[in-house]
Amino acid sequence: MSGYQSLAIAIFSASILGTLFFWDFRLGFAFLGTSILLFTRTIDMEHVIQFASLDVILFLVGMMVIVALLKESGFFAWIVQLILMIRRLNGPKFVVIISVVSAVLSTMTSEVVSIIFMVAAVLEICDYFEVNAAPFIIISVLATNIGSAATVLGNPIGILIATKAGLTFEDFIIKAFPLAMVCLVAAIMVVMVWYRKAIAELSVKMKEVGANEILISLISVPPGKNLKISLAVFAVTLCFISLHHRFELLLQLKPNTILLTAPLFSSGAIMIWKWQKAREYIEKDVEWWTLLFFMLLFAQAGTLKYTGATDVLARQIASVAGNSISSLIGIVLWVSTIGSSLLDNVVLVAAFIPVIQSFQGLNMNLEPLWWALLFGGCLGGNITLIGSTANIVALGIIEKEKKMKVTFFQWFGIGATVGVVTTSIVWLLLTVLPFYR
Amino acid sequence: MKIKEVMVRDVVSIKPQENAYAAWQILTNMQISGLPVINAEGKLVGMFTEKEILAHMLPSYIENVGKFIYKENPKSTKKKFSEFKSMAVSELMRREVVTTTEDTTLCEVARVMLTQKARRIPVLDKSGAVVGMVARCDVLKALAGESQE
Repeated sequence: MSGYQSLAIAIFSASILGTLFFWDFRLGFAFLGTSILLFTRTIDMEHVIQFASLDVILFLVGMMVIVALLKESGFFAWIVQLILMIRRLNGPKFVVIISVVSAVLSTMTSEVVSIIFMVAAVLEICDYFEVNAAPFIIISVLATNIGSAATVLGNPIGILIATKAGLTFEDFIIKAFPLAMVCLVAAIMVVMVWYRKAIAELSVKMKEVGANEILISLISVPPGKNLKISLAVFAVTLCFISLHHRFELLLQLKPNTILLTAPLFSSGAIMIWKWQKAREYIEKDVEWWTLLFFMLLFAQAGTLKYTGATDVLARQIASVAGNSISSLIGIVLWVSTIGSSLLDNVVLVAAFIPVIQSFQGLNMNLEPLWWALLFGGCLGGNITLIGSTANIVALGIIEKEKKMKVTFFQWFGIGATVGVVTTSIVWLLLTVLPFYR
Repeated sequence: MKIKEVMVRDVVSIKPQENAYAAWQILTNMQISGLPVINAEGKLVGMFTEKEILAHMLPSYIENVGKFIYKENPKSTKKKFSEFKSMAVSELMRREVVTTTEDTTLCEVARVMLTQKARRIPVLDKSGAVVGMVARCDVLKALAGESQE
């Protein structure tokens, strides 16, 4: 291994350790690490910019502006209202509803956005029926993380993998969505058993208290012009994102051009429509701290590829796997699952992408490896309470609202069970079904 | 004109271990929105205001969910109010407090009030002890007085 390769690996490893042990300093570490790579001529500025994946960053900026408009127009509160209005609830029905709604919403708006209003709805319902909200919030988080693997919108790693692997939204709907739904069903079955006492207690309370009339009329979101236009903008954006491959073929555009520009076009239209708030959307609602970290991290991961370090790693991994695609699927899936239970999944996926790209030289069909990476990155987030941002956000709300601390092992029991069961299902299906090969 | 010339010197304060409900009664009786919290060593440790009490009553996620209207009062509000009755001031007070010193100018305090969105600011002496309180109305009256001179 050359000096440049070793330096690239050392700096990327330092960034990973920085995010693991010094979370608040992660952007500082990313700035310093990238500067060192440039000073030492391990990489040049042109390639830093090339590897920074501006396409992914702009996609995320566009989606954050759209989400800001949806929030401001009352869309999320409207979803909370719809959940509160569900009649004739019982414990198991409530678990199925919050799991399905959490998963579906995270496929459309991202895990971190959807978990906030799902937690709001679950807390209101549990408060009303006077039961402990923690099990139901954990169920909602587990379903949110699973749902985030189903489309390119659910998690930043979805769009990252789509752009690097050349996968389309349709590929995600055909291949990832069904897998995520199978995992969701399995997770619901696990939580029904794990939390049977809490679910039974909720059923009893729901029977005792009777109809949830106060909940039904607790909040209201006037269906004003703003909400209707915002919904229309969101629906049109989703439509273009869903059909981007068809439009690109029709218009003879480069792959993923419409996928990446649809949120940009919509957010541009939003900023013209709401021109007085445009600056606020960009300055307050776009998470520049996170996006800058992503950019520099992608550049550092790109340096691994640029120096050839990932080719060395890829050859070693392939040799351990005996050049068998089934073994490689297992290695990528389980390493990314365990890794993302401790690390930010974007960090892990950014590190893995150039390694998987390097398998290209070994004449392999890489597609199952991309799905393994996607599911490992999303499902691993369920294993520990720091595994995903959605977990941290939800637990923060429980702590603040209920003055209750969910301990590492309280989470780990159910999180690891769901994580291991769902990852095993994905492993089995990716390995056995010819559809994925 | 300096702040020491316009500040209220007779400062009513509360202790961190005092009951929050009793402290709120003091606010209500004095018809003010907040009071400084001073510990046994005489140091300012926080501000106890009506805003913090209201923030405790309502769910913390209301800002993140977006625009909506409460048509009914959430059941949790009553529960949180009963909790409030047994809480200590230190559990609810705001710990980050904007302060000023006696020799600060009126315009500097006005600037701090505007930029930090503070209504009433504790005035500290060199040892860090609270020696007065200054409110927006005190600054405004003093500025008006200066302009008429």
